[in-house]
Amino acid sequence: MATSPRSVDTISLCSTVSSCPDRNGFYGGFQRTDKPKEPLSKAQIIAREKKWLYMIDNWSLYMSKNYKKIRDRCRKGIPKSVRPRAWFYLSGAYLLKKKNPNIYKELLEKPGNAHIIEEIKKDKHRQFPFHEMFLDEDKVGQIELFNVLKAYSIYNPKVGFCQAQAPIAAFLLMHLPAEDAFWVFVSVCDVYLEDYFISGLEVLQNDAGILEGLLKKTCPPVYRHLQKHKVEPLLYMTDWFLCAMTRTLPWETLLRVWDCFLAEGIRVIFKVALVILGATLNRHKVRKQCNGLCETLEVLRNPPEHVLDEDFIINNMQRLNLRVEDFQIEHTRQKARRAKQKAQEATAAQNNSNTNTFSRSRGSSPTNGSTSGNITVVNVNVGDGADLDTIAPISIKNGSSNSGHRP
Amino acid sequence: MEDYKFLFKIVLVGNAGVGKTCLVRRFTQGLFPPGQGATIGVDFMIKTVEVDGDKIKLQIWDTAGQERFRSITQSYYRSAHALILVYDISCQPTFDCLPDWLREIQEYANCKVLKILVGNKTDRDDREIPTQIGEEFAKQHDMYFLETSAKEAENVERLFYEIAAELIDQARRKDGTSAVNKNSMDAIGLGSLGTKASQNSCCSGFNSNSNQCTS
Repeated sequence: MATSPRSVDTISLCSTVSSCPDRNGFYGGFQRTDKPKEPLSKAQIIAREKKWLYMIDNWSLYMSKNYKKIRDRCRKGIPKSVRPRAWFYLSGAYLLKKKNPNIYKELLEKPGNAHIIEEIKKDKHRQFPFHEMFLDEDKVGQIELFNVLKAYSIYNPKVGFCQAQAPIAAFLLMHLPAEDAFWVFVSVCDVYLEDYFISGLEVLQNDAGILEGLLKKTCPPVYRHLQKHKVEPLLYMTDWFLCAMTRTLPWETLLRVWDCFLAEGIRVIFKVALVILGATLNRHKVRKQCNGLCETLEVLRNPPEHVLDEDFIINNMQRLNLRVEDFQIEHTRQKARRAKQKAQEATAAQNNSNTNTFSRSRGSSPTNGSTSGNITVVNVNVGDGADLDTIAPISIKNGSSNSGHRP
Repeated sequence: MEDYKFLFKIVLVGNAGVGKTCLVRRFTQGLFPPGQGATIGVDFMIKTVEVDGDKIKLQIWDTAGQERFRSITQSYYRSAHALILVYDISCQPTFDCLPDWLREIQEYANCKVLKILVGNKTDRDDREIPTQIGEEFAKQHDMYFLETSAKEAENVERLFYEIAAELIDQARRKDGTSAVNKNSMDAIGLGSLGTKASQNSCCSGFNSNSNQCTS
């Protein structure tokens, strides 16, 4: 096996690489699709486009008075031709850009932190290598990817650069001009996924517990299965959450999920995760076959095709019947769990128990400190668990998507 | 399917971009994927190999190299039977970080874990770390040493097979029943590692079994 060098890989990979890109720009890789898109009628497409254009023209009004309409239309899927603009508005990037003219160009002029620059350089050729924009170093994709990541690392030095951010930036660059992509990226990293990327990954670990709690509620047999085989959520959800599904889902599904994600925030990623978990391990027979940690992780890493189908995911996200309150309850529980855990550690270390660590300060948000798309978010500097009943996590519905861009 | 004599858990650590994932994929799938995406968190692969007629299941855990992921990856060191610490022979900073990694390992891994230092990317012609330097470092720190190229498939099979052989050896020395039998995969006590690295050159201390792959 694998005794002949080089040739082995080339051949085995070439078989999956096509000579022309698919409609999303992919020459190969699992996110390439040859299936024709289920066509809506032309009339339907035009009607949707019109509705979206009208909505974008009257964005503030819709955002403040009729957010539900926006959300529902996002769930139906944003027409391809309008998607880039819609994302630019949904994320609040249009306001960030307006508030900060020239900043992107100024950031590009700056040298940045040498260590971080090295890290980014190492990763710029590792994103979507089968996509036409990122095929080789001379293509504009890798150059812009480097620029966006570098600019962000200077813009938000607290985060700098996390490897999980690169696929998100690359994904955005496939849809938006560099400067616009940068501002959507800023919004996604600083609001939607706030504090996900900083050292320690405390927020992710917190959300891992929340996901487990929600799974227990939505799909108890799967929850029990994962418990039984000690499949910790961080083993399967780290990539899903930190990369906001960009490396997990087939392309058409990913686009639909991002339509919702930008409208509703991190709760969408939770729901997608729950659908994948539930649908993949729902059948008793499958669980029986996955009689161990590795076997279970293996199926979760490669869920059956139908489970990742766009309509399947989107429809089943709604069927989960999770309310905003369910997230809040789970958040409160998780916070208490972690507080308890930390307190024990702290007591052991003769330290003060420090629940403050678990609240996420909004102060640094580039948009508007008071709201966020992240369900795990509590309000600004919430002191400790005791306040939780009065200061609920901000729901996406009246939070996140509106955050920076509500008039 | 679950027919194996031993199960060993091997964990790869080292800076981002040194080629940990590529080593694993080369070994388990015979691939060298161009533009392999960064590992976010931890990942794993399984491969069953045959050593001296015994089927050995290797559970290979691949970890994110970037420092901020350590809070997640650390917890997987503890149950490892072998830790492969990888650096890139064409990138000095990845070598300079080795002492940090050793501290990590010391703190979070079992003290008897089998440690292997691997200098990867020997296919590159811009080498910055001479073989001898790597070797000496390994010797000083009581580790096995090997240079590899995931791209050219050089020494990759050897790396994993020899780890397997060494672990089997240790398990048998200790007493075949106590460690790593398939029913007690968490048991680690892998015998004395007194022989360790180093009297030899390139692949110090490793046996040179010629083995056959079964899956």
